[in-house]
Amino acid sequence: MNHQPRIVVFQCQFCLYAETDQHWMDHELPANFKLVKVPCSGRISPLFVLNAFQGGADGVLISGCVPEMCHYKEGNLGARRQLDEFSRLLKYIGLEEQRIRFAWIDVNQRGRIQQELASFEKDLADLPRNERLATRTPVEQGALQ
Amino acid sequence: METRLLKKSQLLSFIAGLMEQQAVFAPVKNGDFTQFQQINQADELDLESTHNTRYPPKALFQPQSEPLFEFRDGKFVSLLGEIQPRIIFGIRPCDVHALQLLDTVFNAEGAQDPYWLAKREKTTIITLGCEQPCSTCFCTSVGGSPFDRRGSDLLLTNMGDYFAFEVVTERGNALVQSMPVAADGQANDVKDMQTKAEASFPKAFDPTGIRDKLYQLFSSNYWKKMQESCLGCGVCTYLCPTCFCFDIVDEKQRNQRVRNWDTCMFRVYSQEASGHNPRPTKLERTRQRIMHKYAYWLDNINEIGCTGCGRCVRYCPVNLDIRWMIQTAQNWVEA
Amino acid sequence: MNNVLTAIQNEARRILQEGIVDVVVGFEAGTLQLKAQPFFMHKADDVDKLVWNGFCQNNLATYLTRLDKQQRIGIICRGCDSRAVRTLVMEHQYDREKLYLIGVPCTGIVDWRAVQRQTGEDILSAEEIGDEIVIATPQKKWKFSRAEMLHDSCKRCAHPNPVGVDITIGELLPEGDPQQAFTRTREFELKSAEDRYAYFQVEAERCIRCYACREACPMCYCSECFVDYTTPRWAESMITPSGTQAWHIIRAFHQAGRCVSCGACERACPMDIKMTYLTDKLNRDMLDLYGFDVGENDDKQPPFAAFSLDDRDRFVK
Repeated sequence: MNHQPRIVVFQCQFCLYAETDQHWMDHELPANFKLVKVPCSGRISPLFVLNAFQGGADGVLISGCVPEMCHYKEGNLGARRQLDEFSRLLKYIGLEEQRIRFAWIDVNQRGRIQQELASFEKDLADLPRNERLATRTPVEQGALQ
Repeated sequence: METRLLKKSQLLSFIAGLMEQQAVFAPVKNGDFTQFQQINQADELDLESTHNTRYPPKALFQPQSEPLFEFRDGKFVSLLGEIQPRIIFGIRPCDVHALQLLDTVFNAEGAQDPYWLAKREKTTIITLGCEQPCSTCFCTSVGGSPFDRRGSDLLLTNMGDYFAFEVVTERGNALVQSMPVAADGQANDVKDMQTKAEASFPKAFDPTGIRDKLYQLFSSNYWKKMQESCLGCGVCTYLCPTCFCFDIVDEKQRNQRVRNWDTCMFRVYSQEASGHNPRPTKLERTRQRIMHKYAYWLDNINEIGCTGCGRCVRYCPVNLDIRWMIQTAQNWVEA
Repeated sequence: MNNVLTAIQNEARRILQEGIVDVVVGFEAGTLQLKAQPFFMHKADDVDKLVWNGFCQNNLATYLTRLDKQQRIGIICRGCDSRAVRTLVMEHQYDREKLYLIGVPCTGIVDWRAVQRQTGEDILSAEEIGDEIVIATPQKKWKFSRAEMLHDSCKRCAHPNPVGVDITIGELLPEGDPQQAFTRTREFELKSAEDRYAYFQVEAERCIRCYACREACPMCYCSECFVDYTTPRWAESMITPSGTQAWHIIRAFHQAGRCVSCGACERACPMDIKMTYLTDKLNRDMLDLYGFDVGENDDKQPPFAAFSLDDRDRFVK
C-alpha cells in the first residue's frame, strides 16, 4: 500500500527529553502526524482514542512514562489498564490490532520516540487505510484527510 | 367516491405497476421486525404481520436525523433538496391520522415547516385497514377506528381473496382506474366487514372528560404513583407516531445543522443553560407526557394527541401501560 | 413458586409493618401476557399484589439510583440483581444500612420475544407450569420447554443465587462456572476481523438512541452521560454510524468490571439489539486478566479502580 498513514500521537508531556526529543515533536513532526500533548498518560481517556479513529486516523500511538517514573506518581499505571483493555475491545469489534501502539518511554531513552514513530508508520503503511471506525466526516482541509 | 376491487393474486403486479411510476415504501420484514422501507421488488412487501411496525412511519416525513443545511468552503448550502414523488403502501389508519395531527404542528398558519411540507405534498398514502386488533391496539378508545379514512388517499380492506380499494381522494383515484368497480353487494360486504372489525376492537378506557380529570389531578398523588416505575428512556416517544419534539444541533464536526428527534422523558430535554430545570424530576416529566397527549392537545385542537397504535404499550421496558394510566386517572380518588 | 411467592410476600409485609423499610420494590402483574411491571409497595396491603415469576424481566437495582437516598428500601433480588446492588453499594451509591435485600434464587427470565417468534403476537394467555410454558393463541395451544425460552443471558448465567442479602427465600441453585457466560465471546473472536466489524456495524445500525439500555442498566447512573457532552462532542446525537458506534463502544466500556451480565439492556431494547456480546467480552477480560468476577464480594476493588506495578508487561518494552 503506498499511502502515508495518518497517525495521531497522544503524548505525555514529561516522557521525552525536552531539548531534543520534545523539541523535535513540537517542531519537526511530519505532516501526517498529529500531536496531542497531555499532562500525563493517565489523562488519556479511551474516548480520545476512539475519537481519533472515527476522525480517520490510521493509527494511534500512546506515549507515556515508564512505571515508577510518572511525574504524578501513578497516573500512568491507571492509564495502562484502561487503555490496554480498550485496545482489546476495539480489536474485538474488528479494528486491526496493529493500529494501536503504546510506547512507555524513559526520559533517558533519547531518540526512542522517533524510532517508535518511524516503525509504526512503516507497519501501518502495510495495512490499508483505516476504513472501519472512520465514520466521522472530516470537516475541513488540513484536518485528517 | 367508489370502491374498486383487486384480486389478491394481482396485488404484486399492481405494486410493480406503482413502482414504475414512483418510489414505493411499504412494510418489509427483516428478522423479527417489520419496518417501512423503500422496496426494490414488489415481493419484498410484507402484509402478513398482524401488527404494526415498531419504528413509526412518521420517520418518512420527519426523519429521526435530518440535516437542514451545511457550510461548504464558507458557503451556506441548503440540504432541502428535491423530494421525489412517492407512495406509502400498507400504512395503518392510526399512523395516518397521526400524520394529520402532526400537520397541525408542521403546517400551521404562519409556521410552516418546508422540510415536512415538501414530503407531505409528494406522498400518496395507501392505507391498509385492520380487520383484527392486536393486544395493544386501542384506536377506538381515542376517537379513531381500524378503517378510519381520514388522511388516506386510498383505504384497503382485506376481504380474504381480494382487496377492496376505497377511493378517498382524487390522487388515490388516479391509481386505481384499471380496477373493476365494486357492485353494491360487494361494497356492502366491505362495509359489514369493517363494522364487524371495529366492534371487535376492545375499549381500553372511556376518554370522556379526561382533559378535565387530568387537570384536576395535577398536584395529586396520582402522578407520584404513575412515575414510579418509569425509567425515563425514550422508547415511548421515539416509537410514537404523534410525538414531534426535536432538538436542533450544530454538529461542528460535520459542518451541519441537524434536526434530531428529542424526548421530553430525558432530564436534559428541559434543562436550561442556567442549570435550572423546570421539569426536575421524573414526576414532572411523566405528567408532561401524559397531559400533552390527553389534555394539552385537546386544548389546542380539540383532539386527543394519541391515536392508539399501542407501540408504547408493547415496547415500554417496564410495561408502563398508557391505557392503564388513563383508566387509573378516570377512576382516581385522592386518598 | 407459590410457596416462594407467599414467603416473599410475608417478608415484604413484615419489613413494612415493622418499619424496617419505607418501600419495597418488586413486581406486580403486567398488562400484557408474558410481562410483569416493577411495583413499589409503600404499605403492607400493597403486598397482596406482588408477583414473582419468570416474566419479571427488569433488574430492580436500577431504581436504587433514582430513589431518595434517605429512604430505607427493600428490594427483591435474584442473583444478578443482588450483584448489581452490591456493586452500587461499593461505588457509594447507596448506604447498605438503608437497604433490606430479600434474596430469591433465580430460575431465569422468560424471553417474551422468543415465545412470540414461535407463536405470533396474539397471545391470549401465558402460564408457567412446572418446566413448561403454556401459551394460548386464538388458533391453538402451545407448550414450550421453559429452559429453551429463557432469555440468552439467563441461559448463560453462572450465578443464580443472590449474594449479600438479608434473607434468602427459596432453595439455592447450583452455581455455574463464570466462564460459561463467555463462551459466545470466544466464538465471536474466531471470526475474521472483517466479519466482526460487519456484525458490529449491523447491530449498531438499528439503534434509535432511545437509551433504554442505559436506563434499564443499574450501573448507568451518571447525572451527565457522555453522549450528552457537547464540548467535546464524543458521540453526535444523529443516527449515524459515527454517533451510534461511539455510543455502543463507550457504554460497554464504561461497564467493564461493573456489568453483572443480567441482560436487562437487551430486554429493554425496542430494536432487538443484542449488545451483551460487548459487555460479556469485557467481563471475561476482567476475569481472565484480573481475576475479578463482578459482585463476588464486598472487598475486591474493581480492576479500573486500582492498578499495580505487576500489571502485565505486555507492552512495556
